[in-house]
Amino acid sequence: MLIFKPFGPQALLVEWEQRIALDVHGAVMELYQKVAIQNIVGVLYQIPAYCSLTIGFNPELIAYQALLEQIAYLDRFPLAIGNIPTRQLSIPVCYESSFALDMPLVEAQTKLDRATIVRIHTSTAFRVYMLGFLPGFPYLGVLPEELKCDRRSTPSLKIPAQSVGLAGLQTGIYPSDAPGGWLIIGRTPFVTFNPNADDPFLFKVGDSVRFYSISVEEFEQETSKISPSAFNNSK
Amino acid sequence: MVRLHFIKPGLWTTVQDNGRIGYQNFGVPVGGVMDKKAAQQANQLVGNSLETPILEITMLGPQIIFQGDCQIAITGADLSPTLNKQPISNYETIHVSSNSVLAFGQLRQGCRTYLAVRGQWKIKPWLGSCSAMPFGDKTATPQSLIQKDSFIDVQTLPLIAPQRTALEDRPVFKKIVKIALMAGPEWNYLTLRQVAHLFSTTYKIHKDSNRMGYRLDPSLPNFEFSSPLISSGIVPGTVQVTNEGQLIILLLDAQTMGGYPRIGNITQDAINNLAQAKPGDSIRFEFKEDK
Repeated sequence: MLIFKPFGPQALLVEWEQRIALDVHGAVMELYQKVAIQNIVGVLYQIPAYCSLTIGFNPELIAYQALLEQIAYLDRFPLAIGNIPTRQLSIPVCYESSFALDMPLVEAQTKLDRATIVRIHTSTAFRVYMLGFLPGFPYLGVLPEELKCDRRSTPSLKIPAQSVGLAGLQTGIYPSDAPGGWLIIGRTPFVTFNPNADDPFLFKVGDSVRFYSISVEEFEQETSKISPSAFNNSK
Repeated sequence: MVRLHFIKPGLWTTVQDNGRIGYQNFGVPVGGVMDKKAAQQANQLVGNSLETPILEITMLGPQIIFQGDCQIAITGADLSPTLNKQPISNYETIHVSSNSVLAFGQLRQGCRTYLAVRGQWKIKPWLGSCSAMPFGDKTATPQSLIQKDSFIDVQTLPLIAPQRTALEDRPVFKKIVKIALMAGPEWNYLTLRQVAHLFSTTYKIHKDSNRMGYRLDPSLPNFEFSSPLISSGIVPGTVQVTNEGQLIILLLDAQTMGGYPRIGNITQDAINNLAQAKPGDSIRFEFKEDK
């Protein structure tokens, strides 16, 4: 059951049942894609999240109530949106200590050793539930309960780009150097955000992502191979 | 062609336009001018389209040598502008001849000054906008974050007849800025006592306030929320409350996702007015109905 809420003078918030699960997110994605292809006059942008969709609009072109009715209609109307394939991405991660800056903290919190942490992280199929926090930062879920960690109470001032981190039941990849509170367990040689590429973002909401472990040597080989415009990362 | 050569960058000077609309699904902030009204007035005064980039100057002005003749206009905060050491006025078209030096002095009132230059700005846009990306990968908009010895080239256009903004259309800077607040998605997280606090307290703008957001003091009393929220979208003007009860008004460079209760949203006019309030200044909320 959808709930509609006014979200300031220029946005409409659509909410689903508040839980993190593939079925709820599937419903968010379906409406998000319907709104995108419908090309409604006055709709400026959308922010899909775990169980909500924020729709920004220009009130000079469409009124809140008219937009709400359009969205409710689109939600009911069956469209063959389900055929859009989920992209499968395989992302190499080096979990060695030079990159796994917070591995000791994760080991202490989870009471697991590094090998087990890596095994669980690389044997889970994750979904990109949303992008946010930084341009191109993917929120990947759901992390198995065994790896659940708290964020740092005081954020690190600079987490290097491409660091792979854990927070709560989520894992994510820093697209650029930034301060942050996620616990870092490795780094990918893949550039996940390149503002100078035609398509700057490796990840899209809805992608399916798996990680695989690589050595420091493989990390360095992979880094040297990647040209700034290389963005075909499917393995 | 006119070239602006920045001898001094000022405190925080950026190129802005109406922002980067349509990429929020990738986590890209909207960006764009903080005080839309003042920016539009400046572009109008030089006959530019409202989409033309503009300089947003914050509290401490840059020093600029103009290489080439052009027309400019300055609006928003009064930063005591001078052209070749002679005082000039805000809110009117000003002719600048080649090798002139534009400088700024004392901040008399407001917080953000806009400088429009007539013509086509030669700035490389990123995702359809010239607005500065101050974080993430700064190579996205290298020309839009002004530093010492930055240059901006503007393709000049035939001169227009000088204009002035009518006095009644110029801003009136108040000691206490009134901010129109609408109920937000998590409005019902507030107790009656907190609602009373919200509309009866004069809040001070905290020093950690910028284009991403303005933090307010004091905090809401006894604010606690039972279960953490699942992260959801943020739009400019969203008012959220942290676990400690601090109110934060998220602005143009705010991230697109948040996990704190979004108790309200301020209007576009309120964002314009707030953009002219600086750390240490005072604001008061006024309730605004949805419709």
